[in-house]
Amino acid sequence: MKRSIKTVLTSVLLLSISSLVFSGEVVEDPLERRVLDIASKLRCTVCQNQPVAESNSGLAKDMRAVIKEKLQQGKEEKEIIQFFVDRYGDYVLLAPPKTGSGLPIWLLPPIFLLCALLFAVVAMKSGREKKVTTLAPLSETDQERIRHARKAMDDSGEDK
Amino acid sequence: MTRHIWWIILPALVLLIGLLAYGLTSNPKHIPSPLIGKAFPTLQGQDLNGNPVTLGLVDNKPTIVNVWASWCAACRSEHNVLLRGARRYGDDISLVAINYKDELPNARRWLSRLGDPYQWSFHDLSGRAGLELGVYGVPETFFINKKGIIVEKISAPLTDKMFADGVALMFE
Repeated sequence: MKRSIKTVLTSVLLLSISSLVFSGEVVEDPLERRVLDIASKLRCTVCQNQPVAESNSGLAKDMRAVIKEKLQQGKEEKEIIQFFVDRYGDYVLLAPPKTGSGLPIWLLPPIFLLCALLFAVVAMKSGREKKVTTLAPLSETDQERIRHARKAMDDSGEDK
Repeated sequence: MTRHIWWIILPALVLLIGLLAYGLTSNPKHIPSPLIGKAFPTLQGQDLNGNPVTLGLVDNKPTIVNVWASWCAACRSEHNVLLRGARRYGDDISLVAINYKDELPNARRWLSRLGDPYQWSFHDLSGRAGLELGVYGVPETFFINKKGIIVEKISAPLTDKMFADGVALMFE
């Protein structure tokens, strides 16, 4: 029994060491990293809302290959992205452009936020400034009616 | 004060609902092509028989470039439209194709079985010619006028009407 435990333990130890030998050293290829950086800014045109960097579709693979090729040719990121925009339109950009038709998308949210803030400030201010109107003193007839009512209540109380 | 604020909120709300309605009713798969109005690039390659061909204006006539593949189901329904179109307009226009990411035997078999409406098919095994043209799916069709300008690009299976409308645009 003791012996078999020993064998199991040694084999586990040996196996765990051997994994170090067999596992390849992981080195990140800086070119691949740049390819993925650019690909993460491009929309995969067949999968609607997935970046080219994450998609396994044939088109996305082709696009990554083109990006890599152009990087190897010494092209700048800007030029490469423009290459795709020229062919697939602004649609291919995951972040819409900050000019032209893409401008409202960037401008409207802060404008809405500002409007909401302004609205909140104005609403709070006007709420605070609202004066509590003081009531006019009761007229003699009203006071007479109150006295009358009180008296009636007291009388009915005595009946109990 | 509160009454004035409604003059801001109501139009903003209407605008937002309008945008939402537009967004929900528009087709998310339709991508307007930035290539319309631009010159069709000249691309050199080989046809399905290995002969050298050049994509662009063919025989100096307004040219239709159809992108197809034997693995594309929608292309099959479109094929009869292309056969009819080639018969009807064949004298006035050139009809060529890009065979997109297809195996040669499959592509040849397709054409011999269903009929070949094209003058030739540019064999784009890697899909690079397609990428150069902003192709993102098949079938797609480019209509090029006599000056070599792309006047229309359809990213869907053609109907007879779409074919005729495209041809009309080519002669405008």
